[in-house]
Amino acid sequence: MTFFAKFCIPFIVGAVVMFAIVLIKYFSWLRNLPKSDLKLIAKGIFTPRTLAAVWEIVCESLLHRRIFRVNPRLGYMHMSLAFGWFLLIAVGWIETVAYLGFEWVPLQGHVFFKYFVPLNGIEGHKPVFDFVMDLLLLFVLSGVGLAWYKRMRSRALGMKRTTKHILFDRIALSALWCIFPLRLMAESITAAIYGGGSFLTGGIGTLMAKTINADILTLLYEPAWWLYSLALGTFFISMPFSRYMHIFTEIPLIFLRHYRLKPTAKEKSYDNFEVEACSRCGICIDPCQLQLQLGINDVQSVYFLRDRRYNMLQQKIANNCLMCGRCEQVCPVGINLNTLRLNSRSSMRNIPNEGRYNYLRGMDRSQGEGKVGYFAGCMTLLTPNTLSAMQKIFSAAREKVWWADKDGGVCCGRPLKLTGEPDSAQKMIDYNKALFAKHNITTLVTSCPICLRVFREEYDLHGIEVLHHSEYILRLMQQGRLSVNYSTDATFTYHDPCELGRGSNIYDQPRAVIEAIGQLMEPAHNRKNALCCGSSVANTAINDRQQLTIAQGVAEELDATGANTVVTACPLCKKAITRGATKQVKDLSEIVAENLK
Amino acid sequence: MINFGFSINKPRTIDIDRNNLRKSNEIMHEMPELQTCIGCGTCTATCTAGNLTEFNFRKVHTLVRRGEYQGAYEEMNKCMLCGKCRLLCPRGINTRGVVMLIKRKLGDF
Repeated sequence: MTFFAKFCIPFIVGAVVMFAIVLIKYFSWLRNLPKSDLKLIAKGIFTPRTLAAVWEIVCESLLHRRIFRVNPRLGYMHMSLAFGWFLLIAVGWIETVAYLGFEWVPLQGHVFFKYFVPLNGIEGHKPVFDFVMDLLLLFVLSGVGLAWYKRMRSRALGMKRTTKHILFDRIALSALWCIFPLRLMAESITAAIYGGGSFLTGGIGTLMAKTINADILTLLYEPAWWLYSLALGTFFISMPFSRYMHIFTEIPLIFLRHYRLKPTAKEKSYDNFEVEACSRCGICIDPCQLQLQLGINDVQSVYFLRDRRYNMLQQKIANNCLMCGRCEQVCPVGINLNTLRLNSRSSMRNIPNEGRYNYLRGMDRSQGEGKVGYFAGCMTLLTPNTLSAMQKIFSAAREKVWWADKDGGVCCGRPLKLTGEPDSAQKMIDYNKALFAKHNITTLVTSCPICLRVFREEYDLHGIEVLHHSEYILRLMQQGRLSVNYSTDATFTYHDPCELGRGSNIYDQPRAVIEAIGQLMEPAHNRKNALCCGSSVANTAINDRQQLTIAQGVAEELDATGANTVVTACPLCKKAITRGATKQVKDLSEIVAENLK
Repeated sequence: MINFGFSINKPRTIDIDRNNLRKSNEIMHEMPELQTCIGCGTCTATCTAGNLTEFNFRKVHTLVRRGEYQGAYEEMNKCMLCGKCRLLCPRGINTRGVVMLIKRKLGDF
């Protein structure tokens, strides 16, 4: 058997072009990886991590488990397309093997098997394959149907808004949507002429044979296969340039992630894997508060990654993000959206002058002495109530404290890092590290989650335990060094700061402290889904009014709980929410200091 | 002389007609809210970097608006972008945005 017909040409050309481009991309990305990343790959490749990666690929790339968590119908749609198509290819291959044995069959022989081997009447006909293949085709077609429906009514699949696609994506999308209906048509016409097929293709074939003239059917036979092949070829050629590149990018990405590769504050080749693994599903659009409360429609992660991928990223898009992490939380591919955002900001900045920040040298404005250090941070210095509350708490617990920056200190460096100046931030980090080392502290307490995060992630403070004041206060209470009055009349609601919750994974400690003082009432969005106060230092694009609008939205939700007091654990959130709230807003330390026994 | 902890700038005149205002106009165009600045100096009073060095945000952005760009870029880079000024500004000006805009526009000066 020759396994070639003219109509196969679009398919063959498409497949060859696609695989060539994908391989070129893989090769150039891997070649440009820094040495340290290559070492990580070499270290991880022959360990159980590879197997874990394979399992994750099955769960995510085929079954789309994380999308099921967003919405089951949306998950089914993605799964039926990905897993269904994969099974069609796999079972199709088994089918050819079952009929022809392990004889070499070119790719188009597998794909257009029904054309080359009309099965009816040949010896050893295996109807079970006809049935399974029809069932799988129906499975995929149900997904295509849902995808069509989603374009009209996305809410039915759990999405308020879907992505606005560019031309290439539209071409690829249309081709993809045509592939399976055209396959159904081609196989049905084949079944009408030659017989065969099961309940789906066979059924439609029988119907066609009854209603349509045999001459017309013969006339339609070749064009139907041509159309199917053309749809496949179009999809394959547009794939590497469109959103569908995610199909082949997510697989190496999962391996690399299991080998512990990570994006950093500066761009590197690994970022390509993350950027092109974005499928532009648009799940990140709905949680974005810039969209939700301000109606800004072109800055969300999906558009940011798209612009970055096609080298048309504008600074104003890169800068317009709160980095609250709500999109990262739901991203089904698990892309490090915040890190990519900040390292693309960094690539748009100048390299700093080495002598800059020389004025920091030798400066020390710290006060007091003790094994416990307290770093207020710029924002706490702006909320003096928090500072004096901490002072009260320290003296109630009889803790000797070294005050790092009571009289003004140096910024922790995170704001500079978030705005894309990691080199300048490093100067602050070096200064503060040296200061902490000089005063021999063993514990560092801060009441600012922004500082906390950079202390934990960037500082490498060996021998110094870094604690947020919520953790520290809870520890004092558990050790019995601090006791508070409980009152049933006191009702509190708690706002999770982004940097503390999603950023540092601290959800329970502040809640435990509040519950020791009074009753805690949770707002509609809490913990991992908590809203951002809008004043995030990561955003330098929105104006004051827009910040206020976001803060009012958050305050409204907190007020709706009916609690007397809004509590938060971040000085910046406190400042922001106070502007929109009708109830009093307090820092965690304040309510503790007020209720000390 | 007794050190009172502050100093006085030398008297001088700025001739706006002679200064090249192209960059200044670009900055005001991109950040029109800067025109609402009343020069109260709250930003400078709260400034983290200003507390440690002579950096004066109000002075730098005022000079830049008048077309005096000399040294403004390096001076602006003393800013730690902590954002306290933005929270305190009575006109709600996006001061961090101003810092970054001036740095971007004057980077080659």
